[in-house]
Amino acid sequence: MYRLLNVLCLLMLSGSAFAGDPVYPALMIPAELKEKAHSVKRWEEISFRLVSTHETRLTEHYVITVLDPNGDDDAALTAGYSKLTEIRSIRGVLYDAAGKMVKKLKQSDISDESFSSGGTFATDDRVKRHNFNYNVYPYTVEYEIETRYNNTFLFPYWLPRSASSMAVEQSRMVVTVPKDYQLRYQAYNFAGNPQVSEEKDMRTYTWEAKNMKVAPAQVFAPALWRRTTFIRFSPSEVEMDNYKGKLNTWEDFGRFFYALNEGRDQLPETVKQTVHQLTDNLSSPAEKISALYRYLQQTTRYISIQLGIGGWQTFDAATVAAKGYGDCKALSNYMQALLKEAGIRSHYTLVHAGPGENDFDETFSSNQFNHVILCVPLGKDTTWLECTSQYIQPGYLSGFTSNRPVLLVTEQGGKLVRTPVYKAEQNLQLRRIDAQLHPDGNLQATISTRSTCEQQDDLQERFHRQSKEKITEWIRTSLSLPSYDVAHYDYKVEEGAMPAIREQLSLTARNYASTSGKRMFLEPNVLAKSRSRITTETDRRSVIHLPFAFKDEDTVNIALPAGYVPESIPKGTTLRTRFGTYTSSITVKDNTVTYIRITQHNGGDYLPDSFAELEKFYDDIYKADRCRVVLVKRE
Amino acid sequence: MILASCLLTVLGTAQEKNKIRFGKISPEDFQKTSYDLDTGAHAVILADIGSSEFEAEKDHFRLVFKRHRRVKILDKAGYDAATEELYLRKFSYNSEDKVSNLKAATYNLENGKVVETAMDSKSVFTEKLDEDFIRKKFTLPAVKEGAIIEYSYTIYSPSTSYLRAWNFQGEYPCLWSEYTVGIPEFFDFIFIAQGYHPFESKTREDVRKTFAFRFDRESSYGSKTGQTDSYSVGANVSMYRWVAKNVPALKEENFTTSISNHISRIEFQLSARKYPGQAVEEVMTTWPKLRELLMKDESYGIALGKNNGFMGDEVTMVTAGATSDEEKARRIYYYVRNNYTCTDHSSLAMDKPLKTVFNSKSGNVSEINMVLVAMLRKAGLNAYPVILSTRSHGFANPLYPMINRFNYTIAEVSIGDKTHFLDASYPLGFDKLHVSCYNGHARILDEEVTAVQFDADSLLEQKLTSIILRTEDGKLKGAFQQRPTYFESYALRSQVKEKGKEEYFKSLDKVFAKISNPDIEDLDSLETPVMVKYEFEYETNDEDMIYLNPMFSEATRNNPFKSLDRKYPVEMYSAMDEIYTLNMELPAGYDVEELPKSTLVKFNEDEGVFQYVIARTGNIIQFRSRIKLNKATFPPEEYATLRDFFDMIVKKQGEQIVLKKKK
Repeated sequence: MYRLLNVLCLLMLSGSAFAGDPVYPALMIPAELKEKAHSVKRWEEISFRLVSTHETRLTEHYVITVLDPNGDDDAALTAGYSKLTEIRSIRGVLYDAAGKMVKKLKQSDISDESFSSGGTFATDDRVKRHNFNYNVYPYTVEYEIETRYNNTFLFPYWLPRSASSMAVEQSRMVVTVPKDYQLRYQAYNFAGNPQVSEEKDMRTYTWEAKNMKVAPAQVFAPALWRRTTFIRFSPSEVEMDNYKGKLNTWEDFGRFFYALNEGRDQLPETVKQTVHQLTDNLSSPAEKISALYRYLQQTTRYISIQLGIGGWQTFDAATVAAKGYGDCKALSNYMQALLKEAGIRSHYTLVHAGPGENDFDETFSSNQFNHVILCVPLGKDTTWLECTSQYIQPGYLSGFTSNRPVLLVTEQGGKLVRTPVYKAEQNLQLRRIDAQLHPDGNLQATISTRSTCEQQDDLQERFHRQSKEKITEWIRTSLSLPSYDVAHYDYKVEEGAMPAIREQLSLTARNYASTSGKRMFLEPNVLAKSRSRITTETDRRSVIHLPFAFKDEDTVNIALPAGYVPESIPKGTTLRTRFGTYTSSITVKDNTVTYIRITQHNGGDYLPDSFAELEKFYDDIYKADRCRVVLVKRE
Repeated sequence: MILASCLLTVLGTAQEKNKIRFGKISPEDFQKTSYDLDTGAHAVILADIGSSEFEAEKDHFRLVFKRHRRVKILDKAGYDAATEELYLRKFSYNSEDKVSNLKAATYNLENGKVVETAMDSKSVFTEKLDEDFIRKKFTLPAVKEGAIIEYSYTIYSPSTSYLRAWNFQGEYPCLWSEYTVGIPEFFDFIFIAQGYHPFESKTREDVRKTFAFRFDRESSYGSKTGQTDSYSVGANVSMYRWVAKNVPALKEENFTTSISNHISRIEFQLSARKYPGQAVEEVMTTWPKLRELLMKDESYGIALGKNNGFMGDEVTMVTAGATSDEEKARRIYYYVRNNYTCTDHSSLAMDKPLKTVFNSKSGNVSEINMVLVAMLRKAGLNAYPVILSTRSHGFANPLYPMINRFNYTIAEVSIGDKTHFLDASYPLGFDKLHVSCYNGHARILDEEVTAVQFDADSLLEQKLTSIILRTEDGKLKGAFQQRPTYFESYALRSQVKEKGKEEYFKSLDKVFAKISNPDIEDLDSLETPVMVKYEFEYETNDEDMIYLNPMFSEATRNNPFKSLDRKYPVEMYSAMDEIYTLNMELPAGYDVEELPKSTLVKFNEDEGVFQYVIARTGNIIQFRSRIKLNKATFPPEEYATLRDFFDMIVKKQGEQIVLKKKK
């Protein structure tokens, strides 16, 4: 290895890295491409070649001009590798504004770091980074990275506009496969077909994109691949380690994963006995699932370990039994083995997880997954199990995996189904506040809140993971009140099919109502003030993607201090839009202000031209939430 | 802040021992499920026992660090305590810290019996972090609620310089934390203890030990012969032992420079090696010695002592035509600031030679400011590097010259009788420092190694805001002008740089209706704060009553000090002085119904003041609010006063002017 590296270095020193290549003076960039751009990709060619049934090569060669300091990151090199991929060479050149070479990349300037994302215990993913750190603008960098894959499972994608403030002059994707190999791809926001050429027994496909302006970041945007030119590639035939298979359809995809994990469900004898002790006396499958899921939660914990093929293949069940930990694959596989021992069939299920990340292309079978859950079919009722959580209810999927297509891995192959949707009425937050306003403006309030389903996901996570001291500190500091003291706080996790959390809070909000002379100004909406408004987007092009549906109901009763009468009572507000509804009402009776606020957000996808309406909906709510009652002291 | 320092006296011999032995766990150990020390804890450190001693290894000393830790996992939220990370240092010539005797086991109580699950050695994961460090990680098997875990390991270090520090305090409460350090008479170490938790015991005992070295025998030509010579030496070894009991978990709070300033901890700095028959080797005892070492160091100041002819042309070009020394200094500063990219704002060492940094125009903060110093010197100016520690890095120790307490270099240049401090690693003005640098003690590396203080307390940040409201065509039209503080201007400059002026004013649009003529002055100069200006309209909507806050959106709406109590001092970025004025013409057809009352409140007599003054003269309302705090650091005892002070400000600045339509 050491020798090989030396040879490579020598070769690179001897030959001019990019001799004969065209130069890229910044002056040549068309003005319209520079509009709002921090960088411009001048030229790019990504070549991907299927070398054999178990090896591919990827060459990424690009030239990027950085226009200002905010484009610096776009020009930095980040190249990941692992046991499944090997970076064979990295070359780079820096040019000044005129396109004159300033310097070449030195191999010793490339850093090499472990790439562990948050929460990963062990991984062999590493990353090489390089940056010329030049700051005379504009400047241009050129990089060429050659990577070898020792498998035909990992395929690249093509994303010409690889940063949000980057414009593209020209980018090409070139894929070469044997003539008898079926290249599978799906293009998004790309008009036309690739150019196809043949040489000997190889066939080459070429896609090209030119003159793409920047696509500024947008709120409520769908996944990146829905918004810009993007091509997904996926193998039709695959080989990784000693595993081979076809991947033409979702059925194939499931079959391949089934084979990867086959035979890894052997439980130790002691665990088998435990399964029978726990379940033999239970009559219904639902009870058995519940009992085993609780057993899983009590005896295992989530530890992420991704090494080599272990990034895709599960640890065997015996290892999990011995160590008491595993990642999503290992714990799902272990749970599946437990259920199997109890005579219950279940399916290892691939999912693209992430709150709100439910964009998925069902029409193209490919590796769009990053997580594993378990599906237990029971006649009409299907139970879903998130096996990495030590606390959530059996059968509940949080916003992390709900409402999206997933792939069941079965003996017969893969099957695409959808996880349950939690509707606005289920994602409910009910809150009641009873309060006394004092003449000094202090508000003494008792607040009870019940949150269900996805509205309680974050709370659930907080209550189970944080120390009691941190929770106390959180409730003491996180409310949007000018200044307050918490007298009492507790919470209860309710058992039941749908998770719910009840919180009880009493506090004194100091100077809640502002006082000026004989008047007091009281905002009756104490805790439900909307905090977000949307910045105007005049040229909205992409669909508005609202992944969360929820409903909030707030009832607030505020007893007024003696001697004060309302001078001005704001009118209620009613908003009805396609995105949701909002009503608020304020009444004063028997010296008590009653405020009722009900809002529902429907979620879903909406056409870009409704953006102004959405902005208005948010602005109107923001304003209505801040209405105030003016009280005046009777002389 | 620093409670104990080097010379520990013998405090008695009655030593309380912790009797835990690896693997000796009985069912009784599981009985306790809650601890008075912290009833909300998710895991409790039952014992954390460590030692560092010197040993003879072949022909040199090595450091042997041993640790034994036992933890009770009380519930699932304490599972993270079952994962441990060890950081190992790499030295040159293939030598590095090595772990051995790693044992780890989990104990669960099942049916009244203790069940042990040992960790297998394959569960240790090794990761190369960078050139200097290796990380080993392991997590224990069979961890369940109520489990007891324990592990022990030894780390052999070939270097005698890095005597491991010991944290008595951490994320979880700890019942017993003990550290023993044995130092042979051949080494002098400075001890630095910090934190608020008292030691249960602190002892020193001198013992006699023999160190047996082995040397490879060399032939008269210097080649190896395969034979060894032995050499034993007896020496006094001072055994120091610290025990802390019932140490609470560390608590993170807002407005803290770095939690590392507050943790209960003891650390060590080698000051001399005194090998028998050799001259005493002072490693780092005085500031002048530290300076000398740094200025000779290949990876720090060595290049400053050279001619640096390679930068001559550049310096001549940059300073051409400059008529004064200050102009020269300014030009060089702007040149470096504008042309160099800082890649790392926390590094004292120079990773590359000065010439490479100079040519590549990028480097870490020390590298860039060293280029600055070298260029200033090349231009004939009297410039020196200044070493300091940034806020997140913790305080530098003013008494002991400990190099690892510093992580940053700036430049000092004296012109006439004026001293200027310069930092070319950020887009700052001449003689301005970044907010992170105001962290107390710093040293100028001049002949005297002059101490300087960059205290947040001594830095005053001013903000001036003025709004003028006039009636025009029956509408209220406003003119807004604000000169934010220098730090706020710094943030605003980078925001505008990233998103543009347009986006910046777009966000204001939602506060005021119809913004016109927006402008930001002094955006590019960097020497002064910016000035934000715009005009707006205020809608009266012909209401019978108009309620308006004279401060509009500039009112302090939330008390920054939310928490009821405070453990550590409040450390704000600077002293503050915020002045807001309003000059308002009454809208036609309206009269004043009610005005807020003027008030003046002092903070701790002369340490601060809040003014709120409002008056009406004819159809003009004049208003002024001022918040002034003369210091930035407040001890925990003053927390309640500070919180009340801001409560009062929030209350007062929330008050409204009431206007009534004339009948």
